[in-house]
Amino acid sequence: MQRVNRFYESTFIVNASLDDHQIDAAIEKVKDVIVKNSGKIRELAKWGRKRFAYPIKKKNNGFYVVIEFSAPGDVIGKLERHYFLDENILRYLTIALDRRALKARTAGSLLAAVQVSAETKSGEPAKPPQTETSREQGGS
Amino acid sequence: MRVSSRPTTRGGAGQRGSAGQVRKKRSCRFCESKETYIDYKNEKRLQRFVSEQGRIIPKRITGTCAKHQRLLVTAIMRARHLALLPYVSDAVK
Repeated sequence: MQRVNRFYESTFIVNASLDDHQIDAAIEKVKDVIVKNSGKIRELAKWGRKRFAYPIKKKNNGFYVVIEFSAPGDVIGKLERHYFLDENILRYLTIALDRRALKARTAGSLLAAVQVSAETKSGEPAKPPQTETSREQGGS
Repeated sequence: MRVSSRPTTRGGAGQRGSAGQVRKKRSCRFCESKETYIDYKNEKRLQRFVSEQGRIIPKRITGTCAKHQRLLVTAIMRARHLALLPYVSDAVK
């Protein structure tokens, strides 16, 4: 039977005291979890290092990453378990995007992400569907 | 002056606050821009609906409608979880 894919958005915070390549490795691992469980990454935005509003695990800043993907529902459990086990991930939030959210999304996609970091590759705030994700999908 | 101590937005123009100044009736700014989703990632925007201490401002003061206030509250709570907004601001601590 065909499993139903839904759209999700997952934000997580990586320990900012790591080196850039270590952070990238942590992000790759998360992407792997999604892709290997037949999910498809639609968009990935790195906000970069940001100061917290309150300390988390005695740290005052973290590296924010937002991933938007479509996947069958059982991926979420695996993904959250991965977040939980990875010590370098300080906080995470996964939400399902309903129709309304998706509609709003195409209009002003990952708006806050653009405000924060200019280094993010997805230059256009309106529609950056695949930046570095298209290669990943082929490998699954 | 009414006996009721609770200010209502329905009172319209001419309603008096405790200091005696006349309050304007406010309309929901999310309805005005016809929004169906409030994003938790836009912290600057959410900050306007949070007091200096970090508490959510009631809709009777901001004028947000019930529907959008619900969406707003989930957005604020999500933003708090990700440390984009404080639970309690530093000024209070």
